[in-house]
Amino acid sequence: MTRPTVTAASPWAFPVPEIRALANGATAWLFRLPGQHIATFEVLLPTPLAAEPKALEGVATVALHAVDEGTHTHPDGAIGELLEAQGATLHGSARFPYTTFGGQAPVGRLRRALPLFIEALSEPAYAERDVAHHVEAQLAGHASRLASPGAANKLAFRQALYGAAHREGRAGAGTPGTLNAISPDDVRAWHASTWRPGGATLVLAGDLPADLDLDPLLAWAGGPRDAASIELPTTQRPRVVVVDHPAAVQATVTLGTRTPGRRDPDWPALRVAGHAVAGAFASRLNLELRERLGYTYGIGGGFAPGVEEGLFSVSGSVRTEVAGDAVARLLDGLSLPAAFTEEEADDARRYLVSVAPLANETSADIVGQATALAASGLDSSYLARHFAQFAEIAPKDATGAFRRHVSPDSLTIAVTGRADDLLPALTGIGLSPEVVDPGE
Amino acid sequence: MTSDHLRYELASATLDNGLSVVVSPDSGAPGVAVNLWVEVGSADEVAGRTGFAHLFEHLMFQGSSRVASGEHMATIEAVGGTVNATTSSDRTNYFETVPRGALDLALWLEADRFASLAITPENFEAQRQVVKEEKRQRYDNQPYGDLLQLLTAQHFAPEHPYGHLTIGSMADLDEASLGDVAGFFDAWYRAGNVRLVLCGPVTPDEGLALAERHFGALPRREKPSRAAMPAGGLLAPRSTVVRRYVPHSRAYLSWVLPPAAHPDHPALSLALSVLADGGSSRLHRALVRRGDLAHEVHGAALTNRSSSSVATILGRPAETAGTDQLAAAILAELDDFVAGGPTDEELSRAAAQYERDWLWELATVGGRADAINESWLLFGAPDRVNTHLAEVLAVTADDVRAAAARWLAPDSAHQLHYLAEDAR
Repeated sequence: MTRPTVTAASPWAFPVPEIRALANGATAWLFRLPGQHIATFEVLLPTPLAAEPKALEGVATVALHAVDEGTHTHPDGAIGELLEAQGATLHGSARFPYTTFGGQAPVGRLRRALPLFIEALSEPAYAERDVAHHVEAQLAGHASRLASPGAANKLAFRQALYGAAHREGRAGAGTPGTLNAISPDDVRAWHASTWRPGGATLVLAGDLPADLDLDPLLAWAGGPRDAASIELPTTQRPRVVVVDHPAAVQATVTLGTRTPGRRDPDWPALRVAGHAVAGAFASRLNLELRERLGYTYGIGGGFAPGVEEGLFSVSGSVRTEVAGDAVARLLDGLSLPAAFTEEEADDARRYLVSVAPLANETSADIVGQATALAASGLDSSYLARHFAQFAEIAPKDATGAFRRHVSPDSLTIAVTGRADDLLPALTGIGLSPEVVDPGE
Repeated sequence: MTSDHLRYELASATLDNGLSVVVSPDSGAPGVAVNLWVEVGSADEVAGRTGFAHLFEHLMFQGSSRVASGEHMATIEAVGGTVNATTSSDRTNYFETVPRGALDLALWLEADRFASLAITPENFEAQRQVVKEEKRQRYDNQPYGDLLQLLTAQHFAPEHPYGHLTIGSMADLDEASLGDVAGFFDAWYRAGNVRLVLCGPVTPDEGLALAERHFGALPRREKPSRAAMPAGGLLAPRSTVVRRYVPHSRAYLSWVLPPAAHPDHPALSLALSVLADGGSSRLHRALVRRGDLAHEVHGAALTNRSSSSVATILGRPAETAGTDQLAAAILAELDDFVAGGPTDEELSRAAAQYERDWLWELATVGGRADAINESWLLFGAPDRVNTHLAEVLAVTADDVRAAAARWLAPDSAHQLHYLAEDAR
């Protein structure tokens, strides 16, 4: 039998939300998704971590994770029990540019789960014992990240890339010095000033009841948030940093650089280039280091959009003996010795456009995408424009954009593993590595 | 529709060569899931070849008569699909989700490797190294990376089929040879040992015709069967202490549970949830929220098809407590639980949480196809995917108490004290 041909996919578009401006100053985006029996809901709080008091870094993370321990109406764990009884689970993330807090519940139980969710986010008690528990959890998390090669390497990479003087260069969830200083009053103050409906976006997706009542959301009261004006990090000199894990059996490697984000005309071309060079299984770097050489379980990466700017990064773990050669080959690959071919650009464009329906299959996928767009001040129509732009990207556009924004000597490099082996290996390929401690 | 009455249409057929097929149409889905379960896993490996079932899974991407090495993954990605494979003790799973217009191509790619796998010495060697790096990345280079191995060794003798991890040992991976490949393929990758589930915008007639067109030419061979489990090899409860450079000490209590298809499993899932799932769970409330013994408590079950499964409860002690003290406190709570069972509120919370987890598992065509294959392998009945939730929601508080008393008794707990050396 001959190889079957692929028939064209029917056109797909990101679902259009019903947008409602609420009387409390928040905006609600509702996505009605037939067949999705689990609803996902999420509030976007657009305050960046840079607004934390420097001596109390981690307070945003503690405020987030302790928020559902007890409310004034249902203290001491009672709110959590009520939410669980509705089949709800809550999640959240305090990221550098914004915080999200949300959850999931079966759509049939949403009417009862939503008011409880709003109660949790709007009137947390932050009891002393609960705050202490979550401070401890973040201290433990900090120790765990330092012990984990992937997480330790990421911390060191960010420190080198953004500089320790900028919030983005420091640990998102704080360090022992700042975490131990956090009191319940600090957590309450952070919540009072940043968990406000003004400027917040509530995204809700699933097979929603036709007559879903949003009035419970109005129980969330409060004025507008203070506008945070945040300066971008200053450009750092590219560094090669090594985190010493003396017992490691691999070198965990990240290379990367700051790039323009979604609003730059080069952005679609960068996405195509990133997929071809590091994003796909059949990317240049993965084929070379994994499939041909067997150095690694996998190399992955690409361009990630932030709110103000983007980030290009490539990561993987290789056995220690080949770390120098692996980094040299990654640098060589990222110098793009050969322009992208028609086939590479074609495959990348087709992947990026055609995978979208699958990548947006569930209510959580839709909410995650919508929240990222809202945080960047974009609406759901952005995606249609973005996908249309892919069709215009020729191989030379991808090549040109990549070479404009990524060059080997502008890359920050972080490697975690046995410093005794890594320092000579990296020096041997012409780099100037320095040992750093990301826990400091 | 209440969610315990979810009904997914399933059509099944067996090809003349023994390969069996289920099609579950979903016209509104964004793509079609192709999900193949080969009934072989690490529990079928022979001595000296641990890790081979998983290494073999990697080799299945290394080319066949009409598909070059790596081309399977590259082709699926280039049509906007997602593709991967996984191996467990009990099965090897190959799967992709593709736009409907690429279903024919996806099945052609799958069928080609099941008909004509072609591995070169270079590809074999590269994948041996890739798998060794996978082992390092996932286990050897991670804090607590030997935990699963230690738990396994507490429950099963090393020579027991479930006595080693799917990833295998470095020594056995080094010993594996290209010569082993043909024998393994011949023994296990027979049409009658493969189940294919298609889930998405494809009608039963279309799906069954496509399966016949692509897989119908595979030869009919006798279906292999797993060797009988040994009479012994299950170890009595004991306490083990290890010291490692990890950030925190932890206590792991574990129990022997019945094989995965045993009727007590729904009640045991709810029991573990009541005990240790989330901030409202009994152990969290007693030991973290109200007590000063633990910072965190979690539970999990590792299910096995042909031998005992294992339940674990992990506790991270507070600074003022040791793992011994915490383990004793967990067992005291267990003592109460096996005597009194859950309260109605606890049971109803656990059931609501189970419902959400289950519906979430079915929320993608890929997840649904996988759940159908699991029901099929464990119970011989793919349509249990439609009745499973109702079965769990029918469990009573007394069922939970009885199952906990049978399987989670304090005196049958194995203990692993995983202690932190001062690392830094």
